[in-house]
Order: sequence, then C-alpha cells, then structure tokens
Amino acid sequence: MAKTNLDEINRNIYDIKNKDEYDFKIKKGLTPEIIEEIAKQKNDPDWMKEFRLKALEVYNKLELPTWGPDLSELDMSEIATYVRPKTKLNSSWEDVPEDIKDTFDKLGIPEAEKTSLAGVGAQYDSEVVYHSMKEDLIKQGVIYTDMETAVREYPELVKEHFMKCVPVHDHKFVALHGAVWSGGSFVYVPKGVKVDIPLQSYFRLNSPESGQFEHTLIIVDEGASLHFIEGCSAPKYNKVNLHAGCVELYVKDNAYLRYSTIENWSKNMLNLNTKKAIVGKNAKMDWVSGSFGSKISMLYPMSILNGEGAKSEYTGISFAGGGQNLDNGFKVVHNSTNTSSVVNAKSISKNGGKCTYRSLVRINENAKNSKSSVSCESLMLDDISVSDTIPVNDIRTDEVEFSHEAKIGKISDKTIFYLMSRGLSEEDAKAMIVRGFAHPIAKELPVEYAVEMNNLINLELEGAIG
Amino acid sequence: MEKISLNETPVRTSKNFNINNIKLENIKIPEEISEFKNMTITGDTSKINIEKDTSKIHLVYGLSEEFTNQVNKKANQKLKISIDSKQNKEFQIDFKFDNENQVLLDNIEIVANESTKSTVIIKYISSNEIEAFHNGIIRVKAKQNSEINIILVNLMNTKSNNFIAIENTFEANSKINYYIIDFGGKNSITNYYSNLVGENSDNSLNTIYLGKENQVFDLNYIGELRGKKSNIDIEVQGALKDTAKKHFKGTIDFKKGCKKATGNENEACMLLSDTAKSIALPMLLCSEEEVEGNHSSSAGKIGEKELFYIMSRGFELKEAMKLMVKAKFNKILENIKNEELKNKIIDEIDLRLD
Repeated sequence: MAKTNLDEINRNIYDIKNKDEYDFKIKKGLTPEIIEEIAKQKNDPDWMKEFRLKALEVYNKLELPTWGPDLSELDMSEIATYVRPKTKLNSSWEDVPEDIKDTFDKLGIPEAEKTSLAGVGAQYDSEVVYHSMKEDLIKQGVIYTDMETAVREYPELVKEHFMKCVPVHDHKFVALHGAVWSGGSFVYVPKGVKVDIPLQSYFRLNSPESGQFEHTLIIVDEGASLHFIEGCSAPKYNKVNLHAGCVELYVKDNAYLRYSTIENWSKNMLNLNTKKAIVGKNAKMDWVSGSFGSKISMLYPMSILNGEGAKSEYTGISFAGGGQNLDNGFKVVHNSTNTSSVVNAKSISKNGGKCTYRSLVRINENAKNSKSSVSCESLMLDDISVSDTIPVNDIRTDEVEFSHEAKIGKISDKTIFYLMSRGLSEEDAKAMIVRGFAHPIAKELPVEYAVEMNNLINLELEGAIG
Repeated sequence: MEKISLNETPVRTSKNFNINNIKLENIKIPEEISEFKNMTITGDTSKINIEKDTSKIHLVYGLSEEFTNQVNKKANQKLKISIDSKQNKEFQIDFKFDNENQVLLDNIEIVANESTKSTVIIKYISSNEIEAFHNGIIRVKAKQNSEINIILVNLMNTKSNNFIAIENTFEANSKINYYIIDFGGKNSITNYYSNLVGENSDNSLNTIYLGKENQVFDLNYIGELRGKKSNIDIEVQGALKDTAKKHFKGTIDFKKGCKKATGNENEACMLLSDTAKSIALPMLLCSEEEVEGNHSSSAGKIGEKELFYIMSRGFELKEAMKLMVKAKFNKILENIKNEELKNKIIDEIDLRLD
C-alpha cells in the first residue's frame, strides 16, 4: 500500500510579514535596567515595577527544565522583550494603521467580530491595538479590556488576582513573564451574568527576534458564564521568537468558563506558555485546545479544583509536522470532595514531527468521592515521526474512581480497506480517517473555528497522500 | 545518612511530579559483606548446568551505577545457569535471610539455550525480626525459539530493604514469561528492563504487589521493542493498605524498525485505606509507524457493591476484602503451576492483610 506523504501546512495567510516598524523596541537582553525601562515605557504603577524586578530575580535563580524539549537554542540576550507598535489602543478598526488592520483583516478577525463575537481584542507585538465589546455587555457590568487599562482602572481587582493563580515561582518562564509581561486581556463577568456569545482575543507577533508576553486574566464571578477564545499566529523568521504568555482564570462558585485556543504560531516560535484555572464550588472549567504551530511548544493548561463539586474537562489536539516538537498536555489537581475531571487528548505526528502528551492527574487526600477519566490517542502518519505519552497519575486517597487509557498506532489497514470497498479512493479514505480522528475536538469548537481547523487539516491532506 | 537516588525513568518529566526517580533516606548500604549461606536449589536440574561464577555486569539501566557496582565487586552469591532441557523443567532457588545471613548481593545469570523450555523460581524470604539488605541482579538471555518462565517471589519482612535489577535480552522467536510477586521490604525497589531485539520475540510480565504499614514500592519497568513483530504485555495488579505507597513507572518504547510490534500495559491499584498512595507513570514512546500500543491505568477502592454482596453471604469485612484482593490477583496467580508455591503466596496474602 502506498505511503502517506503529507506536505507542510499552507501558511500563506499566517506568514504575511509586515515591515518591522515600531514606535519603540527595547534593546535585546534581560537586565534590571531593561525591566525598569519597560516599566517606564508602560507607565507602570510602583507596585508593578517592583513586581517585575522581583520576578527577574526569581527568573535568574530558577533553572531551565531538566525534562521535555531541548531549549538550548533560546538565548535571551538575542530577544527583545518589548516592542510597542506605532499605534495606540483603538476602539474602531478605522483608527488602526492600515498595514496592521490589513493583517487582522486577512486573519478574519473584524469579520468574525461582526458575525459571531461579543467582543474582540487584538494584540500586535507587545501592545493591544484594538479592543471593543458589545454595548449590552457593558450595560450588564462586563469588563473586557486590555491588561494595562485594567491595572490603571481596576487596581484592586488586578492586585487581588494578578499572578496569584500562577505564582512567579512556578517555573522559569513564568518568572520571565512576570518580569516582562505586556498586553493581554482582562475580563470580569459579574455575578449571575451569562455571556452567551464568545469574546475573542487574537495575538499577533510581527517583529523578528522578539517575544510576546501577554497576560490574560479572567474572573467569572459566582453563577456567571463565559466562552473566551484565544487565537495566535506569527510570520516565520530565521531566528527564534519566544512566546511566554500567562493565562489566569478564576471560575467562582457555580460559574462556567470555556477557554478555547487555536494556536498557529510560526515554526520558528518557542511557545512556552502557562495557563491555569482555579475552579470554585460546583463550577465548571472547559478547555478546548488546538495546537498546530510553533517549533517547540511546552504547554500544559491546569485546572485546580478547589470547590466541592468542581468540574473540569479538557479536549485537545496537537498536529506536529517536520521540525516541530509539540510537548503538550494537561494537569488537574483535585482538592475537594465530589470533584471530577475528564481529559480527551489526541495527537497526529507526520513528516518527522514529534508530539508528546505529558500530564498530571493528582487526587489529594481531601478529594473524597472524586472521579477522573483520561483518554489519549496518538496517530503516526509515517515512520520518521515520533509520538510519546508521558502521563503521571497521583492518587492519594481511596474513595476515587480513576481511569486512564492511551493508545498509539497508525491508520488501520483494515479501515482503509473497508472504506475503499465502499468506493472511496485510498487518498479519500485516509483523509476521512484523519478528519474523523480530529472530529471529537472540532465539534467542541465554535463552527467557524472548527471550519478553520478542518481547513488546516485539509490543506495538509490535499493532494499529499498517495 | 545521605539521600540516595535510584531507579531513574528512561525519559524525565517535571520534577514537581516526584516520579523521575526515588530518593531514599536512612538506607545503610553495607560495606563489609560476609558469606551468605542460606541458599538452596531444589527441583529437576537435569540438563541444567549451574556454575558459581558469572560474567561482568553491564546493565543498560539498573537501579544506579553504585548499586550495580556493589554486586559486580562484592556479590556473595553468584549463579550462572545454562538451560539445555527441551522439556519444561522446573527448579527453585531459595534465599533465606536470618540472623547469620542478613546481607545478600546476588548475581544470577540465566541462559535459555536454543529451543529449550524451563521454569525457574527464585524466592527471597526472611525471618521476622531482622533488618535484611538485598541487592540483586538477574540477567536472562533467551536464545532462539526458547521459552522460559521466571517466577520471582519476594516474601521478605517489612523491615528489610529489597533492591533488584532485572535485564532480559531476546533472540528471534524467544519468549520470557516473568511473574513477580512483590510483597516484602520496607522499601522494595525494582528495575526491570527487556530488550526485545529478536524478531517475533515476546515478553509477558505479570506482577502482583501488596503493601502494608509504611512500605514503599518503586517499580520501574522498561520494555524496548526493536525486533519486527516483537511484543510485550505488562500486567500489574496491586493492593495497598495503611500508609503504604507505590510508584509504578512502566515504559513501552517502540524503537525505529520494530514494524508490526505490539505493546500493552495495564496497571490497577486497589486502595484499601484512605492514607495509601498510588502514583503511576505508564509511558508509551513511539518512533515507528506500524505498531500498536495501548496502556491503561486505574486506581480506587474495592467496589462497595461487590463487598456488600460477599458480606451478605456471611463474610466479615476483612475476609471479604481479602477475597476481593485474591480474586484480582488470581488472574496472575493462576499461571503459577507449582501448587505448593501458589498456596504459600495465598497464605502470605491472608497474613499480610490481617
């Protein structure tokens, strides 16, 4: 039977490079002077400047991870950590400079805003250049703004929550984030308010040899609900770019939050992102994650189920092609009674790409009557790729139901044979199987993103199997 | 006494997960090794050649360099066993720790020659009052078309320390069936490595462990599939009571070239108290397309419905629990054909669950 031979993703839209024009670009490297300059450029309040400097101290003390992908090519002395685009924050797309607006137009953001989103934030390099939300949500007290505005206008809320869910000591790249963070979104949904239509933030990194360190802080108050979508992309350059964002989510008692991500960074990007949610009593946190881009990705969203009856569900897919090492997964800690978690992770490796599923399920002593079910599935499309599954299951009490299952393999010859006996060509049969494999993830995404994901898969499969 | 770090996994994960290795404190590693006299070999040893000298040990993994070197330099029991029997001959090697024999460093090398069949029982047992130290290495080489069953039984007391490293190599069409009964040791640390180089080679590894008091089990099982159509099946069933703790690290590694290889791993832990702890890391590593790998892992208490049913038949709770544990273990125990040994193991389960 002929081999499956898939081409690399067609990244025409994502690879549009604008000129590296900016209002201000900090010099490369990471010193206290550079941090102070960032704080000055961003008009930080004193507490934030101090926070940044302390985070730098922690960064200098912590070591690189002794596990996972090799990060030795990352040289912070070659990365500019702050690039301010040549525009201010705008609330109308008309006010956004033409070349930047054109990029977001091609990515379909303004169009999606008109048809299917309740609010949009768009970040270009280190600053948010556009932010807007529907009037009726403003009237209900929903806050959706860039982080800098939140620091100025809601200092108490920010101080209470900023880097408390993800403390700077968590790991080296969180400490780096604490020192140089810029941009990102702040969302507050008041008690009982249901935001029916999703909000979306899109992060675009255009500047070469730079990093993006946006901070997303979302508080969904008691009984409220929200669907938040995060998209990210960048054009490809020869030298590495770095993304070390941080997402902190607070899902209060009886609240619901769905956090969906379609990540399509360029293949020179090191994506060392950190995402964590604290989930309250009877609250639910859903993660939906599609990971397609990046040269190296180390991303393990985490739910901490602190409230009785808290729930978490993770649905994720990684798609690694040649030169990509996607080390993704999920972590969940059960800290209270009657909590539950469900994990459904899939990965596809092709053309020498490497996918790793790495995870932790910890059910602590006080989490009686908790349940956790984990399923991961890996598909190998050729014999030069790699797929690893490295899950840790840490069960510290007896009154639990815990199960984990994983499988790894290629497209079944029998299934191809069956589909071909029904009249499909071999190419169509294989393409159908790959789409079917990804379907459980696609069906969790809003329709237009599911279409985008299917398009990404189709682009890879079109005329490439034979 | 300084901490010792042992049993490193083949691939590391976050050190915050506390599973990449095991760090032990207060382990007194004996320097002066006296003779170990309490070793007996029984059973049918016709066409079995046993020598008291072994080749130098080079382990791919092992517990640590220091532990391997200790056996290399100071072993007080060495056995080189060469099997030529075409019929399945069974023989048993017993090591008994007592006041005069408290430290055992054993180096066992077994060669199952071409087209042979055999069963080897290796049993470690200790009297109750002593704090014994065992550091052993067992290497098995299965030559073409051979089949060997190894039944490794650890019935040491819960004050002693048990360290063991196992390494198996496989030629084409060979088969090793390993049964590990792991009940003893304050710390029972096992490193198990199979290198399935031979085409169509097959390894079945079946373990039952039973922990009580503050026993710690660290099981690091690694199967590397290299040969075409090679296969490994790992089945681990365990039960933990009191504050016993278990780390299970199981790796099935499909190496490039092992086309049509298969690997399955199932680990299940019964938690018999709310202070027992089970950590599992069932890894699948894959660099080959045409393979099939599955793993599953589960943990939880004994089903209340089942317990209720057994108790409704007149059993006390403790007896009902013992019955459930034995029922789970039976899947593995039923493969042990030696009735005397099987009964001894069942008695031990009853005793240790009392």
